[in-house]
This record gives sequence, structure tokens and C-alpha cells, in this order.
Amino acid sequence: MLPIRLMATTGILGYGFTEEAFNAGVAMKPDLIACDAGSTDPGPHYLGSGTPFVSRAAVKRDLGLMVTAGVEHGIPVMIGSSGGSGSDAQVDWTLDILREICAENNLTPKVAVIRTEQSKDFLQAKCADGKIAPLGPIGELTKADIDDAVRVVAMMGPEAYQKALAEGADVVIAGRGTDAALFAALPLMRGADPGLAWHLAKIIECGAQVVEPREGQDCVIGTIYDDYFTVEPGHPDRRCTVTRVSAHTLYENPEPYRLKEPDGTLVTDRCLFEQLSERVVKVSGSRYEPADAYTVKLEGARQVGFRTVFIAGIRDPILIAGIDDFVVSCRQRIARDVGALGIAPEDFTLSVHLYGKNAVMGELEPEIDGPVHELGLLLDVLGRTEDISRAVLAKSRYAFLHTDFPGRMCISGNLAIPFSPSDMHVGAVYEFNIWHVMECADPMECVRMEWMSPEEVRAWRN
Amino acid sequence: MAKLMDIARVVRGKNAGALLLTLDVMFDDEETYRKVRDSGVLSPRTIAPLYGVTDNEVAIIPFDVAKAIKITVPRRVRSGAPGDTDVYGAQQHVPLMMIDLPD
Repeated sequence: MLPIRLMATTGILGYGFTEEAFNAGVAMKPDLIACDAGSTDPGPHYLGSGTPFVSRAAVKRDLGLMVTAGVEHGIPVMIGSSGGSGSDAQVDWTLDILREICAENNLTPKVAVIRTEQSKDFLQAKCADGKIAPLGPIGELTKADIDDAVRVVAMMGPEAYQKALAEGADVVIAGRGTDAALFAALPLMRGADPGLAWHLAKIIECGAQVVEPREGQDCVIGTIYDDYFTVEPGHPDRRCTVTRVSAHTLYENPEPYRLKEPDGTLVTDRCLFEQLSERVVKVSGSRYEPADAYTVKLEGARQVGFRTVFIAGIRDPILIAGIDDFVVSCRQRIARDVGALGIAPEDFTLSVHLYGKNAVMGELEPEIDGPVHELGLLLDVLGRTEDISRAVLAKSRYAFLHTDFPGRMCISGNLAIPFSPSDMHVGAVYEFNIWHVMECADPMECVRMEWMSPEEVRAWRN
Repeated sequence: MAKLMDIARVVRGKNAGALLLTLDVMFDDEETYRKVRDSGVLSPRTIAPLYGVTDNEVAIIPFDVAKAIKITVPRRVRSGAPGDTDVYGAQQHVPLMMIDLPD
């Protein structure tokens, strides 16, 4: 069955790729065209709200090219972690785009839908059974954490993808899975070496991160043989280098040698990276250690309030010289003014970020005393309710604009406010409150699968 | 005195999930990489105060094949949670790049 060829179209569905690279990749007759849509990098909002962090237009463009070529050439197309967080709402959103693509291009694929959002009853039972443990520096999971979470997804392994492929799916739209599981699924089911399959999957899942020159996202092709695999760019004018490919093993991983997956650990300490040709890198020596238990990562987010923000510039040199004391006196005035509205201190937090001083590093900023001629002021209010958030921000804006300070000459206003309206209402705010691993009796325990005929795809409504 | 930014090709930081920050230092040549790796200048004791964590929370892992040194520390605030200033963790590498190197 070897070699097996996999095409990763882009790092995240919607981040784009060139048609030149994609067409060249398709001409190499890959056994799979796939892309993981997921990332937690943009933060907890997207899981919490069940909304994507890429645009519908961008996903439609990427997915449209993939599905059209896949159907034409009989190559299965798989999307993992749909919509960014892989929640049911984001799977539905992706299905709606697929429906539109199929209708517009008169395509009739057989579609497998894989969902990995978890029910609270299931999680409570697992938690009570002692099957859920922290993943990193976070507390033990409690019953209240599960109750508080708006959405919880499980990061599945390759098994559901394999079931979908074995049963003849043309297109797979999946919920949250590990990036690598999406690409390891096919080679593993065809008997490839697990170390090579997982390592290849891990390297190509981020798309053109391993490609030079770095000119944005693009397609990458991985080919797995008996005792090695190769990585190369789809684009004819680009190349994969040993430096890029080996360095990618570091990327976004807490350690480079051991990468944890649901049913084992990829071990890369004895890997050999070789430049096979100008554009192609060969990798060998990757190993996979099976785990005793099958575990999936859980990601959950809870709502923590409502945010309103305000941005302004401070140019006055007298104010900049005394900015720390000024912030203190503004805070005192805000506490008084907000208290008069009947809003309690525990109902909100006000964060003051001073760009140009220490807004990025906070108290860890090493260069705190450099000369500054202009400061960016960001006021960030997190309120228990939308009304509280808006009211506190409005009082804060007024305080920063008009509070007096020693030596003040600019008595008509302290801030350059760039917009009208000035206050930006961000809406609900979430935080990750579940970042744990759950032991599964069976890999499919955390997965729900359904099939859609071409007619059902075309008739689908979000 | 030279700083790490004067001799490294890459000094970067990024989330490793929502709870950890991981920093990579990469070098162009084997000699510079080995010199820094073996000098002890990148140690839990030097890194911990830069990131407001304790020595035993700092993991430092050399990765010879990429001529790179990986440093992983816990985030002080979970990514995107109230109080965070850098959701992706992409601009937290600066204290590391400013580290002074022994002559």
C-alpha cells in the first residue's frame, strides 16, 4: 500500500493557499487532501461563543477548491477542528458552507460528519469516576467547572477519521481533533510505521511553516515509505529545508522530543533529517510509544462577563511624566463615581494598559525608564453585566479625560480620542476553564458520527 | 557585552496551549549553538526572574538537530483570560533576547 501521499493545503482552513501549489499538489495524486481548521491561539472567545476566527468567504474559497478537486479526482477531503474550536456550532457553520459549495458547483459528495462536543452529563460521570486529570498548571476538575462551561470539546484521535475513510466518505467535516490525527489516520490504517505516520502528520499539519521562502500559507505534501518519509512544498518555486522541517518539531510544543497523542507518544530524539534534493527533506528514525490508557484532551470555556474598551492617545509631556500617579487618582475618582451608580467593586474590573510604557510585558517589562513622547491608553472594563460594563467604561473615559494633575496646562482635556463613538462594546468574554485529559474506555466514546447523502448535504440548513 | 539577540538567528515565543509559554532560541552555526548551550547562561536561575516564575517551573531543552534551545514556562495568566496582555504569547520573547552573554 506504500507509499502514501498526503496533501495539507494550509495551516488553518481559511488562511489560504496558492492555486499554483494546490494544482501541483493535486497532480502528484495524493491519497488525501486535508486541513485542520483548529487553533486555541486566538483565545477562549471562539470556543465560548461557538464562532469562527476566520471569515466565511475565506473558508468557502479554501474548502471550495479542496472539495471540487477532491470530487473530480476521487481523493477524499477531510477538515479537522471545524470552525476553529470544533464545537457543534462550528461544525454546523462549516456544513453550511459545504452545502453552498456543493449547490453552486453541482457536486454530490458522500459526507461524514464527526462531532466531539461533550455533554455535561457524560463529563460529570467521567469526573466522578476519576477519569479526568489536569493537563499542565491548572487545578483538578470540579463539578462546578463542568457546570460553568459553555462548551466543552474533546480532541479526538484518528479512529473516527479512519472509520469515515473506511466507509467511503468523499468529504469529512469533523469537530475537534488533534492536528496530527487528521493526517496520521490514513497512513496508520494502511499499515504505515506509527512513528513515521505521526511525525509526518505533525510536520505537515501547519502547512507552509516548513517552507522557504516564507511568503504566507501554502500547500505541503508528505509521502510516507517503509522506513522514512519526505516533505516537500506544493509550490514549484519554494522548497523545504532541513532547518525549517527540524525546527517545526519545536513549534508550539512544550518540548521537542516527546509529542503526546491520545494513544501514545511520538518520540523524535533519534530522528535524522536529510536534504534529499533542493526542495525535498527526508526524515527517518521517528518512533511511537503506545500509551497504557487512551486519553483525549478536553477544552472548555466559561463566560466571565462583558467587555467594553476605549482607546486614546496621550501626548502631553507633563501628563506623561506623572502618568503613574495620574492613573492612581483616576482610579480613585472612578471608584467613587461608579459607587454612586450603585455598582459594587466586585461587579467589575478596570484594566489600564499603557502602550509605549509596559502594556505588553506588565511588571516584567525590563525597559521601564526609556524616553516616551506619546502613550497609547487602553481602558478595558470587564463587567458582570453588559450594562455595568458600559457604565463603568463611560465613567472611566470621563475620569481619564478630565481629571486634574500637578502642573496641568491642558485643562480642556487629557486625551486624543480617535473615534466617535469612542466606547467599543465587545460583548461576552470567556476564559478557558477546562484544560484537562479524559481517559476513554474506547476511542469512539467521545465521538458521534453521522452520514449525509448528497441530497441531505444540499438540503442542509444551519 | 553581547546580548543573545546579537548572536541568535531566531528568538521567538508562542503559546504551547493556553497554560504554557514556550520560547525558542535558534542559531545559524553549530559552534555558537554549542557555546550558548554549554555556557549555562540559559538556566532556570537566569530565566525564572524574567518571566516571574520559580526556578523549578522553567524547563530548558536543547534540540541539537535544529541547533535550538527550547524554554517553557507557565503563563502567569491563561491565554485570553482577564488580565492577559498577549493572547498568542507572541511578544514575550524580549527579556530573553536581551540576556547578556559572558565574554
